[in-house]
Amino acid sequence: MNVNATFFAELIAFCIFIFITYRYLWPSFSNILEARQEEISEGLEAAIQSQRKLEEANEESRKLVEDAKSEASSLIAQAGSRGDQIVDEAKNQAIEEQKKIKDSAEADIEQNITKAKEGLREEVAALVIAGAERILNKEVDESSNKDIVDALIKEL
Amino acid sequence: MAEKNLTENLIPTADYISHHLTNLTYGWCEKSQSWGFAYHQQNIFKETSCKVSEMGFWSFHLDTIFMSTFLGLIFFGFFGLVLMGAKKGVPGKVQNFAEFVFEFISGAVKSNFHGTSKIIGPLAFASCVWILSWNLMDLLPVEMTNFFGANLVNSEGTSYVGYFKVLPTADVNAPLALALVVMFFVTFYTIANHGLGGFLKEFINPIELVGYFSKHVALALRLYGNLFAGEMIFILIGIMFGQFLLSFGQTLWFIPGLMMNLVWALFHILIIALQAYIFMMLTIAYINLACAKH
Repeated sequence: MNVNATFFAELIAFCIFIFITYRYLWPSFSNILEARQEEISEGLEAAIQSQRKLEEANEESRKLVEDAKSEASSLIAQAGSRGDQIVDEAKNQAIEEQKKIKDSAEADIEQNITKAKEGLREEVAALVIAGAERILNKEVDESSNKDIVDALIKEL
Repeated sequence: MAEKNLTENLIPTADYISHHLTNLTYGWCEKSQSWGFAYHQQNIFKETSCKVSEMGFWSFHLDTIFMSTFLGLIFFGFFGLVLMGAKKGVPGKVQNFAEFVFEFISGAVKSNFHGTSKIIGPLAFASCVWILSWNLMDLLPVEMTNFFGANLVNSEGTSYVGYFKVLPTADVNAPLALALVVMFFVTFYTIANHGLGGFLKEFINPIELVGYFSKHVALALRLYGNLFAGEMIFILIGIMFGQFLLSFGQTLWFIPGLMMNLVWALFHILIIALQAYIFMMLTIAYINLACAKH
């Protein structure tokens, strides 16, 4: 163990190495690590944000699906009621049509009846007149007795 | 006859140990009034050169200076190269390792130092990395550098650099230089935070002055002592099994020697890292204390 001038050489060398570390190594290590720290924290922040966005999107999509579902069910209900309505309308129309047909048929019948009555009446009138002629054995002037005949026909 | 040969083969133990513990020294020789390598470490001016012990203060341990600077360049260069190719995104394996080291040290600084200082981080980093790089040299086989050095022989068959201590920590100058820098910063921060009066007031009790110096000398000697002792045990293991091998002529002695070296090396890995860590932590603690309000 002999202390000698080697000491000074070591002293200078140590100071130089401290300076190198102080000037170059330490700051660049700090810079790199700080930059990475920042990057990592940014990345984590972004991850959290995207997670939040994902949740929002999930929420939104769920809402959309729900909306669509309710819309669809309302549409189905609407369609059902509309169908009912159509059926009702068709039924009503059919009933109306039926009624109309029936009415017209009744009217026809009525008409035929009146026509037949008219015809009968005329025939009866003719028969009455013919009978009266036979009874009276003389020609009855139809035009002169028209009032009587008409009154007779009306009584039929 | 055979016995005589055996004893001749034995290496003088004291020589072996002193050989391993002698630094490659270049210094001012009072005797010859010139600069030069120490006696035994060169072969040219044997008559005029001093022994290592005869050299005064003005001598340099070239192996310590070379190894510490070389290792520093490798380790700090490693970090520099990693940073040059560093990416701010996902790091590679090497960058990850370098960042781990940095974060480990800066974490230790952050949790133990409560003041504001820009130099303490780099100081802790430089001391920890540099000391660790030195201490790792303790794991090289103890005989290796001498073996290679001994092969660099000149025409007279003597080694030029048979002396080469590869472990800078086992030379007290290196830890002492680190401790002096720490002491400088401790003093600087004490004066900066408490004023010169505050600094001097600490020494009203003169025993504090002893404490002030011994604190930093102990910082150096703790590191030096641990690594020196570790190196010493490697040397002793080497001697023991080397002597067994030479005395009994059994090459198989190589195996228990290797085993013991392995066991000690595995345990020593702990000391290597621990001492670098302790030095760094104490540096931080001392400077924190200097900055603390009290």
